[in-house]
Amino acid sequence: MSRTTTRRASSTVAAATPAPALALSKDSALAGEIKALVVAGRRDAARERFADLVALQQRRAARIAYQYLRDVHDADEAVQDAFVKVFTHIVSYREDLPFEVWFTRILVNGCLDLRKARSRRLRWVLPATSSSEAAPREPVAPDAGPEETLLASERGRHIAAAVAQLPERQRDVFTLCQIGGQSANEVSRALGLSEATVRVHLFRAIRRLRALLEHERK
Amino acid sequence: MRHPHLSDDRLIDVCLDHAPAATEQQHLATCGVCQERRASLARLLNETSTVAVAEADAVFTDERLARQRAHILERVEQESRQGRLISFPAGHTSSPSLLRARPAARWIAGAAAAGLFIGLLAGHLTHDFTAGRVMPSSLASRATSSPAAFQAVSTTMSEEEFLGRLEIAIEGTGGSALRPLDDLTPLVWEVAAQ
Repeated sequence: MSRTTTRRASSTVAAATPAPALALSKDSALAGEIKALVVAGRRDAARERFADLVALQQRRAARIAYQYLRDVHDADEAVQDAFVKVFTHIVSYREDLPFEVWFTRILVNGCLDLRKARSRRLRWVLPATSSSEAAPREPVAPDAGPEETLLASERGRHIAAAVAQLPERQRDVFTLCQIGGQSANEVSRALGLSEATVRVHLFRAIRRLRALLEHERK
Repeated sequence: MRHPHLSDDRLIDVCLDHAPAATEQQHLATCGVCQERRASLARLLNETSTVAVAEADAVFTDERLARQRAHILERVEQESRQGRLISFPAGHTSSPSLLRARPAARWIAGAAAAGLFIGLLAGHLTHDFTAGRVMPSSLASRATSSPAAFQAVSTTMSEEEFLGRLEIAIEGTGGSALRPLDDLTPLVWEVAAQ
């Protein structure tokens, strides 16, 4: 969840800080614990611990799903489905892999399925008139943080439009790297692509974004 | 010795947490152009992720997330509730003993079942159920020429399943002939947008 900001903040000093020892993250430890409880038949206790796991990953999942689907209801559905699938299949979770990667893969697959279903609906059926994207943005509160201020500004709108203009695959990779805070290696495992392919998509996405935003500026 | 400027890809790499090599580090420390390019790239990455995160957070408020969490846990509880076998009729076990105690009832039940079976069989053998049914001539001729053309269609098919079958039918070999026609036909939402 906070990895994005951590990663961003650390980008300038990355060379100076050595890589931390491979330790089990909090969510991976929790997932292992839940798995053990389910295997032992203690489902009630497992559910209680699962609530903590949801709390840990939920916001990050919502951000990713929203970037994928650009619709609050679809994103909500995708996140819920992903968590339910995690609990249902927790026995097949491998503790040697980071939980975040496993979960992201489930979430992304769900988002892709929903996106496919939606494009199918759009092809054959009239879309609903109410859309969260069409809703006007509320004015920024005077005590809004820098993120809200940037989002409400002209620049923020241009950036959001530029990200939306990226080709699907580039946007997917960019979303997972920049919003999901995952490395190219983790994204490659989540999307089932080679790491080199992920990097190519990411570089193209960034170059395209830069071109689009420079064009807007002129 | 003067090192060449860093390529765009290397700069992106550096901005994405990949440590520059010693020579690149040296160059970055002294080259104003590369420093500026690096700063501008870092700003772009920072701004795009900030905007994307703020956009999602604006719609996924704390209340919405709390509601979502409650739904997830509710669904998980429902999913994990295992099915129980309920004995039916509960607590009533006298039926088998009733038949055992009264052989006459057993004989009557057996005879009734046999009669019903024989009646159904005889009906099938002696009566043509389709004879009295009126069928349009066009359908009747098609039914006789290609019986395989008619397939049972489930009325309980979901919208998703139906649209999926439609897509598969179009993508299949049989639909390729119709593709030019499909391309000419405007989509529903395109017409609505005009």
